[in-house]
Amino acid sequence: MRGLLQLFAAYGGGLLFVLLEAISITLIVQYNQRQGEIASNSMGLFTAYIDNTSDWLTDYLGLKNEVIKLQSKNIKLLEQLDNARYSNAVFRDSIKEDSLKQMYTFIGANVISNSILSSNNSLRLDRGSRQGVRPNMGVISDGGIVGIVRNTTEHFSQVMSVLHSQARINASIRNSSYFGTLTWDGKDPRYMQLNAIPRYAEFKVGDIIESNGFSQIFPSGIVLGVISHIEEVPGNNFLKIQVELANDMAKVRYVYVVNNLMRYEHDELDKATDE
Amino acid sequence: MNNAIPINIIRFLGLLTLQVLVLKPISYGWDGPFFINFIVYPLFIILLPLRTPMPAALLSAFAMGILVDLAYDSWGVHAAASVLTAYLRPWPLKWLQPREGYNVNHSPTRKRMGMQWFLGYASIMMSFHLFAYFSLDAFSPYFIKSILLKTAFSFPLSMIFVLIIMYIFNPED
Repeated sequence: MRGLLQLFAAYGGGLLFVLLEAISITLIVQYNQRQGEIASNSMGLFTAYIDNTSDWLTDYLGLKNEVIKLQSKNIKLLEQLDNARYSNAVFRDSIKEDSLKQMYTFIGANVISNSILSSNNSLRLDRGSRQGVRPNMGVISDGGIVGIVRNTTEHFSQVMSVLHSQARINASIRNSSYFGTLTWDGKDPRYMQLNAIPRYAEFKVGDIIESNGFSQIFPSGIVLGVISHIEEVPGNNFLKIQVELANDMAKVRYVYVVNNLMRYEHDELDKATDE
Repeated sequence: MNNAIPINIIRFLGLLTLQVLVLKPISYGWDGPFFINFIVYPLFIILLPLRTPMPAALLSAFAMGILVDLAYDSWGVHAAASVLTAYLRPWPLKWLQPREGYNVNHSPTRKRMGMQWFLGYASIMMSFHLFAYFSLDAFSPYFIKSILLKTAFSFPLSMIFVLIIMYIFNPED
């Protein structure tokens, strides 16, 4: 009680001021028509502003669900594409509806860690064996190829980035059948190098490099980048081609893990060839 | 010295009567086109003794304001402006403090402090009060032009009344 009195002695003026002003303003708003209208109008504007802000916040918090929904929509569309299917059509006049069998399916995933600075980069995804991710599956984003799954746990998977000294990606030049291997020299994360294109091949700077599906890891026709520089190495039959990646590996965020439903057949063939 | 309370009660009633019975009818009708409103009752707050405790000053200012509001049929507007003026009173007193300081038993009157000092002090207090009053009356920064015009036009005329009162009565405390 004594403390309260001391408090009032020290701050009593200020407290009383606030109290009396509050009473006065309440009276103004309650009993004066014009001021009351202004006040209720302003309160309305303020409430509308608060409502807007909270709506915006709710929208923002709902974005994660929205991304998951969009990913599943995208997967449905990706699986409808011809390059995700195996064509059964053999010597037929027309392709029937059931002649395109599903070959690739996709699993949506989020990148939870990423690196581009070392010479052997890797990513980590928040999907694992429980969702059907297995080693040696390809990982793509909407901009191009991201990497290849190396290891999985129940809920996460480790992906070898294309920016890895061990990465070898089969690639061709669009509208010509020349194919080579895309590797990374560990220097600039925006550029990769296309090797094994013969010197006599006809193409020019600006041509599109796409995946060719030879490895059975990625569907064919995924745009990887464009040719930015061609160099002839003396005494070498193959050209040194610099490819500017279409995909910015520094900000890849939402990806799709590629599941080849016919992969086991290729594995069987590989085994048979080895024996 | 001990008659400070009766003096202030008489001043309270006198200024209230003057404001409500004389100045309100004069102002009536000039408020609109001429932006003029004669307001003299804050002189009570201006002349409160320097040793008045802040809660007492606030309460008496509130009482004065609410009684003027009763007459003006503007619940709370004068009361809020008066309480604000009473709360802000220490600041102008601090700015205008003479070199030798105040005698806390005195009131800040013309007779005690001199004409020049009183004119400055009363002007600051009156402009505080008028600006606060017209702001609360309009109740929205949207009307800032009319608030400033009303303050500017009412200030000199109200000050003339204040000075006339000071010349007629010339109170010591």
